[in-house]
Amino acid sequence: MRNSIPTSALSEFVNEVASSPEEALMDYGIEINWESGTRSRTETKSMKVGPHQVSRSFTWKADEPRQLMGNNHGPNPQELLLSGLGSCMMVSFIAGATAEGIQLESVKIDFDATLDLRGFMGLGTNATVGFPEIRYKIYVTGDATPEQFAELHRKSVSHSPNAQTILNPVGLTGEIISTQIQG
Amino acid sequence: MADHKILGDTASKTPNRTTGGWLNDLTRARSAGPVLADHPAPGTGLSTTAVHAGTHDDPRTGAVGTPIYQASTFVLNEHQYESVEEGFARDRFIYSRYGNPSQWAVQEKLAALEGAESAIVFSSGMAAITSTVLALMDKGAHVVASSDLYGGTFNLFNQEFPTLGMSCTMVDSYDFDAIEAAIQPNTQMMYFEAITNPLLKIIDIPRLAEIAKRRNVRLVVDATFAPPIAMRTLEHGVDVVIHSASKYLNGHSDLIAGVAAGPRKLIDMIWPRLLNYGGSLDPHACFLLERGLKTLAVRMRAHEESATALAHYLESHPKVKKVFYPFLKSHPDYATAKRLLKNGTGNITFVIEGGDAAALRLVNALRIPKQATSLGGVESLISLPFNTSQATFTTRQRADVGIDPGCVRLSVGIEDAADLIADFDHALSAIYAEKENAYA
Repeated sequence: MRNSIPTSALSEFVNEVASSPEEALMDYGIEINWESGTRSRTETKSMKVGPHQVSRSFTWKADEPRQLMGNNHGPNPQELLLSGLGSCMMVSFIAGATAEGIQLESVKIDFDATLDLRGFMGLGTNATVGFPEIRYKIYVTGDATPEQFAELHRKSVSHSPNAQTILNPVGLTGEIISTQIQG
Repeated sequence: MADHKILGDTASKTPNRTTGGWLNDLTRARSAGPVLADHPAPGTGLSTTAVHAGTHDDPRTGAVGTPIYQASTFVLNEHQYESVEEGFARDRFIYSRYGNPSQWAVQEKLAALEGAESAIVFSSGMAAITSTVLALMDKGAHVVASSDLYGGTFNLFNQEFPTLGMSCTMVDSYDFDAIEAAIQPNTQMMYFEAITNPLLKIIDIPRLAEIAKRRNVRLVVDATFAPPIAMRTLEHGVDVVIHSASKYLNGHSDLIAGVAAGPRKLIDMIWPRLLNYGGSLDPHACFLLERGLKTLAVRMRAHEESATALAHYLESHPKVKKVFYPFLKSHPDYATAKRLLKNGTGNITFVIEGGDAAALRLVNALRIPKQATSLGGVESLISLPFNTSQATFTTRQRADVGIDPGCVRLSVGIEDAADLIADFDHALSAIYAEKENAYA
């Protein structure tokens, strides 16, 4: 085990997918229910790893701080977005290091981002609604040279599904199913 | 690295490394095994396979047959250290809980008999079942299983699953609509037995495999009652086949063992559970199992011959109300048995007049069959569901699962059919004569 990833199993999976591409298709889903105010509860749906159904019984809550009319009962959606981005970049970095044979001792990614809520509020300024920029630093110790780590950083971002989803235009296809209640 | 010999599967090598490379540069692919040495199969027939597959002669002395590697641990060199670091420790000898040449030899024989890429032997059938099921299930997962499961498996699903946050729905193995309807979004496995106990239902495994594949769940089958001479279960679309090897596979009622066989990918997922749960098989037991397996094909033919003759005799006896033997035309699953089974087995279940009291008198009057639980040995074994496998049930509960009073479980050994028939003839005459005298 290098970095607690079985390199042989990783290699065998990559080679399996090369000949059976259906094994690479992952179907995900979550369901979010409004609880109260700005607080909501997310539940994972079953996942499919290739053609195989996998149980995913995980739940978590999101909320806003009291200053934003919430109760501060959980991380807010922006923190969860950064968490999803950073955790994916982390997997990519660790898997890439393992494939190269780099032994890691510690890895930390520190994220910062500034949001201007005037966009959300519709206050008619030039402020973007979303993050205009996301800043991060990766702190790593391991047996590679600074040049090797720099190259690993580049490759891990270019292969990270969540980083690439954020960097590239993505279709957001929704519909609303509404029921009007009698007041 | 060249100074030391590779102790293990020499074809298994460390994944290559490319500085600056990515995942697609990794070239190690999965292969069947692990195997100790490249010994080509001398034939493809199942009798030849039973004798020769996996078995190797001692390279130092020429002694015929696999030596017993009665060792807990192995001398280490850089190849073993590397296998641990790179995650292919299953392919090297390190410690006997991880793997041992005696285990590998019998695993290779079992894999060849089942037509599997890989197999693992365990210290019992239940160790094989627990390790396999928990390898293929995640937190919150659900299994759809047969409602007439073996008691040990039932206890795992009924007693242990809730503790682990897992659940099970048990359904009639004949009711394919109900089986399909029981599959939930968190269902990861369908778990069935090839032939059920004690009514010897022959389960339509190809039909179950079709459902499992279409609904994206794994199909695991316990084929203890249908060893590979009778049925190569994996050929019918099953993902992993499990056996209690204590029964037909070993065949001599002298050890406890289990096996799981299937694609290398899934068996490699089960292997860490062997390590974590600790159900490894002792080298001496591996030797006994390997030796027992060499005669599997001839034993199965002998079981079928004696069991068929005895089943016909019992069916013609006026005091025998019902006989369940899959190769009798009267068996409810005769057509399925003819389609799926290439060889019969020794299991016969029958119901005699006079209820459980008469059945108890019968097993006491017989001289050849031993009154004992288990099955698949060279000696005939006989037991009654009412005081063994279904002893916790009431008469009504037994009737609900099809077990009538007077039900007898018989595992016919390889004794001569004529002797078995004579023994039953004598015992049946004696017990009903006793009863008639008693009431006279």
